[in-house]
Amino acid sequence: MVAYLLRRLVYIALIVLVMSILIFWATQIMPGNVAYMILGDFAPLDQIALLEEQLGLNDPITVQYFRWASGLLEGDLGQSLIMQRPIAPLLGDALANSALLAGISIVLVALLGIWLGIFTAVNHGRPADHVASIVTYVVLAVPEFFWCIVAIMLFAGYLGWLPATGYAPLADGLGVWASHLVLPVLTLVFGLIAHVSRLTRSSMLEVLQSRYVLAARAKGLPERHVIRRHALPNALLPTITVLAIDVGVLMGGIVVVETVFSYPGLGRLLIFGIQQMDIPLIQACMVVVTLVYAFANLVADLLYAWFNPRIRYGGAVGT
Amino acid sequence: MAAQSAPDLRRARRPMPAPMVWGGGMLVLVVLVAVFGPALSPHAFDAMDITQRLQPPSAAHLLGTDEFGRDVLSRMLVGTRLSLLMGLGATCISLAIGVPLGLLAGYYRGLVDETVMRAMDVMISVPPIMLGLLILAVTTPTIWKSALAVGIIYVPIMVRLTRSVTLELASAEFIEAARGRGDRGAFILFAEILPNAWPSIIVEAALRITFAILLAAALSFLGLGVQPPAADWGLMIAEARPFLYEAPWIALAPGLMLVFTVVAINLVGDGLRESLDPRLRRQTS
Amino acid sequence: MTGSPALEVRDLSINYGSGPAPIRALRSVDLLIRPGQAVGVVGESGSGKSTLAMAVMGLLPGAASLGGGTVRIGGTDLYAMPPDERRELRGSKISMVFQDPFTSLNPAIPIGRQVAEPLVFHKQLAPAAALREAEALLAEVGIHQPARVATAYPHQLSGGMKQRAMIATALACDPDLLVLDEPTTALDVTVEAQIIDMLEGLRERRGMAIMFISHNLGVIARAVDEVCVLYAGEVVEHGPKETVLHRPGHPYTKGLLASIPRIAERERRLEPIPGRLPDLGAVGRGCIFAARCPWMVERCRREPQPLVPVEAGSARCWRTDEIRDRPWSVPDTTPAARIATDRIVADGAVVVEARDIVKRFGLGLRLERVAAGAAGGLPFRLKRDAVRAVDGVSLTVRAGETVGLVGESGCGKSTLGRCLVRLIDPSGGAVEIAGSDLLRAGGSRRRELARTAQMIFQNPDSSLNPRRTIAQALGRSLKLAEPSPAAATRARIAELLEMVQLPASYAARYPHELSGGEKQRVGIARALATRPRFIVCDEAVSALDVSVQASILNLLAGLQRELGIGYLFISHDLSVVAHIAHRICVMYRGAIIESGPTDQVLEPPYHPYTEALLSAVPKLDPAAGAGQRIRLSGAVDALTDAGAGCRFADRCPRSLGAACSTAAPPLRDAGAGHTLACHLPMDELAARAPIFPRTDSPLAARGELV
Repeated sequence: MVAYLLRRLVYIALIVLVMSILIFWATQIMPGNVAYMILGDFAPLDQIALLEEQLGLNDPITVQYFRWASGLLEGDLGQSLIMQRPIAPLLGDALANSALLAGISIVLVALLGIWLGIFTAVNHGRPADHVASIVTYVVLAVPEFFWCIVAIMLFAGYLGWLPATGYAPLADGLGVWASHLVLPVLTLVFGLIAHVSRLTRSSMLEVLQSRYVLAARAKGLPERHVIRRHALPNALLPTITVLAIDVGVLMGGIVVVETVFSYPGLGRLLIFGIQQMDIPLIQACMVVVTLVYAFANLVADLLYAWFNPRIRYGGAVGT
Repeated sequence: MAAQSAPDLRRARRPMPAPMVWGGGMLVLVVLVAVFGPALSPHAFDAMDITQRLQPPSAAHLLGTDEFGRDVLSRMLVGTRLSLLMGLGATCISLAIGVPLGLLAGYYRGLVDETVMRAMDVMISVPPIMLGLLILAVTTPTIWKSALAVGIIYVPIMVRLTRSVTLELASAEFIEAARGRGDRGAFILFAEILPNAWPSIIVEAALRITFAILLAAALSFLGLGVQPPAADWGLMIAEARPFLYEAPWIALAPGLMLVFTVVAINLVGDGLRESLDPRLRRQTS
Repeated sequence: MTGSPALEVRDLSINYGSGPAPIRALRSVDLLIRPGQAVGVVGESGSGKSTLAMAVMGLLPGAASLGGGTVRIGGTDLYAMPPDERRELRGSKISMVFQDPFTSLNPAIPIGRQVAEPLVFHKQLAPAAALREAEALLAEVGIHQPARVATAYPHQLSGGMKQRAMIATALACDPDLLVLDEPTTALDVTVEAQIIDMLEGLRERRGMAIMFISHNLGVIARAVDEVCVLYAGEVVEHGPKETVLHRPGHPYTKGLLASIPRIAERERRLEPIPGRLPDLGAVGRGCIFAARCPWMVERCRREPQPLVPVEAGSARCWRTDEIRDRPWSVPDTTPAARIATDRIVADGAVVVEARDIVKRFGLGLRLERVAAGAAGGLPFRLKRDAVRAVDGVSLTVRAGETVGLVGESGCGKSTLGRCLVRLIDPSGGAVEIAGSDLLRAGGSRRRELARTAQMIFQNPDSSLNPRRTIAQALGRSLKLAEPSPAAATRARIAELLEMVQLPASYAARYPHELSGGEKQRVGIARALATRPRFIVCDEAVSALDVSVQASILNLLAGLQRELGIGYLFISHDLSVVAHIAHRICVMYRGAIIESGPTDQVLEPPYHPYTEALLSAVPKLDPAAGAGQRIRLSGAVDALTDAGAGCRFADRCPRSLGAACSTAAPPLRDAGAGHTLACHLPMDELAARAPIFPRTDSPLAARGELV
């Protein structure tokens, strides 16, 4: 288990390294000149040249990369070109806000998705299963951005129950704080709950067909016990993998949702950076996102290993 | 050896699964719109008329008009082709790159496998939308670039799927027999393995088309895909955002059309899975 | 009330599917098992024996429906009681052991808890007490370290141990009826013998009724008192095992017995049952076996056959009395069916010579904990594990000769076979085919050479590409071997199909339109297409029912006589190898430990491992060769390299101790080309009674039964 964890950590380090190179290289070919961007399009040529010299823009790209990467390792994410401020604190706040959104969402998705999956698998072929099946089917076909639009129209516009956009700090009061979170979380989790529940349902159905479940029934165990203790632990394994993939989908969703609801998170910061061509900001955001995603996958791997005795306990027991 | 009941030698011809029938019908409708959309639309999709801006649905404009007075129905119909092409194009790109790589990795194993799979691991360790953003952020967005970006995002999934099917097939005895009689790798890959791998790949591809449509729409929505004044559903919804309360039809029409299309393709995909996927074809015996 | 039977099945019919033509898997089945009695249910695939087990357990799948009849457990009607009561019965009064221990245990739950569950739910024991009880049960089924095994997960145990744990679970609540569904089929023969011994002891101690389902008549002969023969969903014969197995009254039972190869009568011709299982979706009025029966007359087709009492049992045949003493005999359709009587001492040219074949498989890198400071201060070091699946094997096969290669799973026999046709590249050694070095040949020369060595595979379902017709499959081999015009290819395909006794019309069919035996014939035709001089048959008949197996064995033998091909016949089944092979090699942990002409290997002097293998083979005739039972403990450890000593030393019942485990055994010559690797003196090895004394003479009359 320790060796497994070590291997995964080394692996993550490699992935992040490769991605940082890719991100750096890709952002270098972006149109636009950084020096012009800082000084304006009408700046004198000698000033441009001076700034380029100062920023090291004339150095070979590898030197630039190492300068940037060693900065990253020391926690220096560089300066935002547009906002003229260090990126690290900006990013820190945004990350905290996004983490709140993502954390609530993933917990809801895991709990509700798995529950719904088990419920429909156990009631396989009954009306409840059919209804859930149709609903999740349609829900899966609706993109987050459309949910956002509909939610705003309905709850903020038509009903007027909730604020349409923005974010309120906890200091403004629990109710206000929560009311700003409801719509973003709702739109984020809708599709994912449908996804997780459908996959949990199908892996549960497969496990319920297995020999060992038949053997458990042949022992005369109550059906509740068969489902909870025999089927569920095995059916959850594929679900964990799916949840890890869904963290990636969730990140995509967060970008959209934060943009629509003007929620001050990482996604909105990234889109802002892209729209404004703020290269250091884009680089920093992307590296952080990669890192977060890699660790989410690590957690999923560890959970998987924990639930799977084949990984948790290795070799054979004697005669 | 013992657990089977009577051997059923005839492959049962079963009626077409219900989702296939429904989805097929819906999909035919969508495809017809995609083909004849521009001909069917009552107005030119980009014809502006400031005097007619934000009109609610009426006889002249069945689904109303947008902020520039363009006909929403016409734009929605014209957008169908774009969306379908985007979905198909992106899926074809991921198939064209992913399937051969998956076949090679699964059949030759060893170094080829390691190289391909580690590259895929890198690609997959980035959240899908980020990869799209990275590609689209660094270049000026065009339709084909978004299709390419979305297609590349799904390459790892195609590789993994093809590889796992190939791995399973490569250990089948008929592949050993082919090697034993002296067949070369290319023949084994494309004539022996691929025909057996197709069902699983097709089913996955059908699913990918909808994901691609949704992702492409999301990118357009973020302003990183198709650029104005093109009629794209994602873009239309983005443009409708400031007018959600006074002109909800501008956003609802393309949104519902998008959902309809995705449901149609998903239904067909499920129908295909039911009739093609050998893992689901198990008979109760 | 005393004397109510443990199990009483009356007139039971089970259908699969609905609509106008359901599959009638069981029709009017009667079965009675009294307390303490063991009844064997015998049948081939499609006989409905597993459906019967599920019906008795009340665990029929959703697609199955009760078409009529009753199942009574201890006098109460199983299908008249509410489902909850039925569930209460399962695991307490009736319990079941499944065929496949590898998939029947839950991978996520420790063994002890799985064994203890019935105690918790049926006897309301506290979990801790149930766990203690479970350990006692594990000890009772012969597990040596029950406390350790109880905390283990299924993947950490060998197949035999898993099956013991399954049996312990079934015994937990001291059931009145134990249903065993092919309990040893997935296991090696030495492990099978251990399990059967253990079950025998259990029956004596516990005295419960047993329903023992198996396709293996040898296992049945040892484990039960009465035998019930199922064919196509009907009981065709039922009676004491002495009668059913030795004086059968139903033609099907006769055919089944005539199809089984036996070591004691290894040169007896196998007489398969012609035809195939009827379509259970369209069952006619007459006798279900009529179409395949050599004694069929018009009346058989017309009249339904009831189960009539005859002698000690009953049979579903109105001509029982007339045919009981007649041997099973079917018209000989094989070109040259019998190899055994002219077991030519092959003096043909050597077609394959393998020298010192070694195949290592890497197990990947792993971190190994080492004593601190040993490797530059790091507490770990990287170690690349490898296992020698084949460890220095030499053998030759001559034209027209069959060399049998026997051994248990994991001994390396399949790897060796694949090395010989170069489907796997050996790590060392040389293979010469017809005088040319196969391993050093490259490119087209390699492919050309490889075509002279072909392979017939185990699994008829995976050995043919489901998306190619038979003609395409055969045509491809022909095209590669000898490109010729389309008409010539078509003619040759027809010729190949004729060689394997399939109609030429089969060329247009897809594999799913063929039965298992027919697919195997196509596999043989494909191997013949390149005109090979040598064929590796890798468990080529293991997946087939005995009646089909017999016809394939006869076919292979006939083709060999006609074409002079050399076979390497790989099998775990000693009876099959004894029947077909001219010479036998016995393999253990990657090496051949004994080899020689069939008669020499099957008679003393035995290598202790060969002796144990032979002793483990279940005997159809309990009277024959009542020699002592030799049982091996433990299981083969395939994943560690053998040390310097004898690779069998740790399990050998006749081990000399240190001498065996430290020094490699010498290769001893027992005369007539018979060699074995053992430290024991030859006279000591020779001083043993034969385990299967010959009961046939080399010129035995055909079709004679025991």
